[in-house]
Amino acid sequence: MEIREYARPKSMDQAMHLICEEHGTAIGGSAWLRTSTKTVMLGVDLCDLGLEYIREFQDHIEIGAMTTYRELETSPLLDSRFGKIFRTTVSHIVGVQLRNIITVGGTVAGRYGFSDLNTTLCAIGARVVFYPNVEKDLSSFIEKGYASPFLIEKIILPSSARAAYQQMRISESDFPIINTAVAWTGTVWRIAVGSRPAATRICRNAMKILGDSANPSDEQIEAAAAETSKETQFGSDIRASANYRQKILPVLVKRALLEVRG
Amino acid sequence: MTITLYINGNEKILDCQPGDMLTEVLRKAGYVEVKKGCDTANCGACTVLIEDKPILSCSYLAVRADGKRITTIQGVAEEAKEFARFLTAEGADQCGFCAPGFALTVLSMKRELRNPSEAEIRHYLSGNLCRCSGYEGQIRAIKKYLEAVHD
Repeated sequence: MEIREYARPKSMDQAMHLICEEHGTAIGGSAWLRTSTKTVMLGVDLCDLGLEYIREFQDHIEIGAMTTYRELETSPLLDSRFGKIFRTTVSHIVGVQLRNIITVGGTVAGRYGFSDLNTTLCAIGARVVFYPNVEKDLSSFIEKGYASPFLIEKIILPSSARAAYQQMRISESDFPIINTAVAWTGTVWRIAVGSRPAATRICRNAMKILGDSANPSDEQIEAAAAETSKETQFGSDIRASANYRQKILPVLVKRALLEVRG
Repeated sequence: MTITLYINGNEKILDCQPGDMLTEVLRKAGYVEVKKGCDTANCGACTVLIEDKPILSCSYLAVRADGKRITTIQGVAEEAKEFARFLTAEGADQCGFCAPGFALTVLSMKRELRNPSEAEIRHYLSGNLCRCSGYEGQIRAIKKYLEAVHD
């Protein structure tokens, strides 16, 4: 990527002005800059905005947009509230050196089809906060996007959930062929599917089959897993055919559901 | 643009373009021990430490590093030499191209993890590719090195 001019705003207002009024392009993790062929007239680096944090509140957890994957992976707070799902989700992504660079906000903003993390965040029921203070359901944002230039401030998670992540890859650090995350939030089951190869979607019909009990029956789990492959749209690419993805998904969903139910 | 980097303990004022990646800027400044491998955030050859954290310099904007401490393998030469003895003893180093990035990641792991298992070692080093050795010798060398330094 070629960047003609570079700015490093010190406040959210300043960053928002550069993005909205000066047509700047936000730079989050920066990991894709090297391989992109775009020319950016003004790169707005978000690294000085104090958005690297994972904070616990009484009824939710906030993750700043510039928090790195490595910080997610090594967070005792996330481990204690969500088990090992964040570690499992990001552990296949290249190496520690890349995970020290790439950010939560960059991943969410990109709405990438191959994303591991967006699938997990959607399953947990994350919400995304756009500056100044516009809150949206993350899965809705990933599906529909945002009408105007935006600046992501943070991600909001519920205070805890039992959750599991499953994926299939051709090789260890490649993009996934298909991935899924499931969560029991305490009141409902949530199932998200990503890398279809398109972006993450919620499997609403399958979620209904599981009902509102923390202990769905084996039959409910079988039926919900089968339903995910019916209600999800798949595509073909260099890694796998749509048909292959459709066959694999229920297996992964079942494994994840059994892991969470116990 | 002008940036100030603190490379291996020395202040360096360097010129760069806004879109330049750190690998290029370091190599142009003479730090050729920072290897340019895949240049697409996959191989780990370009690893340097920024504020003591391992990062891929091929995917990190040089301007973002302004004012930060950068450590290349030359900055930890004595420690790296000690580790290299274990690599040599296990026949684990061949062409040597991946070695600077690999050694920096190992030294970073040594500081971050106490008594890592083999699985943890492999996981921590999954971002460093070696096309010569097949990794087994490296894993043996790392285990022996960690045992020696923690004794």
